[in-house]
Amino acid sequence: MNIGVGEALLISLCGFVTVFLLLLFLIVIIKIISTVVMSVESKGKGAPASAPAAAPAAPAPTKEEEKPSKPWDGKLQLIDVDEETAACIMAIISDETDIPLDELQFRRIQAL
Amino acid sequence: MDFSFAAVLGKILGESGYAGLFLNGVDGYKCLAMILISFVLLYLGIVKKFEPLLLVTIAFGMLLANLPFSNMVSNVDNDGLLHWLYTGVSLDIYPPLIFMGVGAMTDFGPLIARPSSLLLGAAAQFGIFTAFLGSLLLFGFPVNVAAAIGIIGGADGPTAIMVTSRLAPEYLSAIAIAAYSYMALIPMIQPPIMKAFTRKEDRKIKMEQLREVSQSEKIIFPIAVATVVILLLPDTAPLIGMLMLGNLFHVCGVTARLDETVQNALMNIVTIFLGLSVGATASADTFLTVQTIEIIAMGLVAFALSTFGGVIFGDIMCWATKGKVNPLIGSAGVSAVPMAARVAQIEGQKENPSNFLLMHAMGPNVAGVIGSAAAAGFFLKLVPMLLGG
Repeated sequence: MNIGVGEALLISLCGFVTVFLLLLFLIVIIKIISTVVMSVESKGKGAPASAPAAAPAAPAPTKEEEKPSKPWDGKLQLIDVDEETAACIMAIISDETDIPLDELQFRRIQAL
Repeated sequence: MDFSFAAVLGKILGESGYAGLFLNGVDGYKCLAMILISFVLLYLGIVKKFEPLLLVTIAFGMLLANLPFSNMVSNVDNDGLLHWLYTGVSLDIYPPLIFMGVGAMTDFGPLIARPSSLLLGAAAQFGIFTAFLGSLLLFGFPVNVAAAIGIIGGADGPTAIMVTSRLAPEYLSAIAIAAYSYMALIPMIQPPIMKAFTRKEDRKIKMEQLREVSQSEKIIFPIAVATVVILLLPDTAPLIGMLMLGNLFHVCGVTARLDETVQNALMNIVTIFLGLSVGATASADTFLTVQTIEIIAMGLVAFALSTFGGVIFGDIMCWATKGKVNPLIGSAGVSAVPMAARVAQIEGQKENPSNFLLMHAMGPNVAGVIGSAAAAGFFLKLVPMLLGG
């Protein structure tokens, strides 16, 4: 089938716009999901429902290590992670990123 | 009954693959050329480590299929092993299963934490549509082949294979090999484009740490995306559906065994079948053509333009956010998970050694997978319409 320049351009533009619109739509969906989930979770934890959606400190951290304002003391914090696992994680990150371990700075490793 | 050693030896040699190669005229030499090409691909996969899991398997499938009289693809009586394995490609079974594995191995957290990453994933599909245009207008490919060539720009092997097997199966080997070869070459293709279209001071930008994403968000995400995308573009159902199912296995916390199987055993088995099947389609008649060179050239253009699209949109986001987004992460909008994100990380650290862009680049990277599947869905819907199917 022969397609003219104009039609080919139109198809390309149409395809690109379709992908953009679909992913824009997904942004809206994700924002809605995040807002609803965080609202429900903050209510469950007793925090005010109107807390800003993306504020990391909104649910009032219970663990000492989650307080963001504490200055870093230069020591690696291990939270629910043993030293062997932490060493493996650091080695893997170094290998995956091709960055020597002595050039990497780990501040905290926490099991989620 | 006449029997002599010379007669038996002559018969064995006459029916051997060597006779097929050297006494079969041009066809034999074409097979020989294909065998040599498979050796080169094996070298690239094994020694240079270019996407070895697939390239080694594809190359070996190509070798087996081109050994005369091996009957691996078909013979007089019935079809051979590779023919039957290929039904998994022609029936769209393998690429979606690979996508399930990709979903199980992918963390959509960075994308959920910063949904605007999706725009970078969309922008990086620029190469798909410009390569489609170029293939149509510069090389005069039919619309179905042009669409399959364009998809190379998505840097997504399974998507390229699925689109090609549906729209232009005769070009499957050339397109699959081009797609996987360029994916392996991302660390060489992308950096010059990233540097050319970003400012030095922008490349040094350190991005804010992403917020933590809750388990509930991670569980709802694949269900919502599958529903929304497939309702809009039903042709993406095999790819997006399996991608999101794999991810749901990974995040829901109650299907650890399935998650483990999908990530390892299933993924490895399907990779073997897919690679062998694709390699077996590389016959001399379809591969040793000018079109193959054109496809490889357009594939490179598609890759480069996809990177360009992502980086330019990264520049736009950098400007719009007043310097909060490092434009280098735009390059990760091409799928190629996680290699494209790694390239963004490495290039970012070259400019600012204390910069860690990996997690920020993973957002556009996984968005690119969704974007290229969406582009594939667009072509799978449109091309049959244009062809009157």
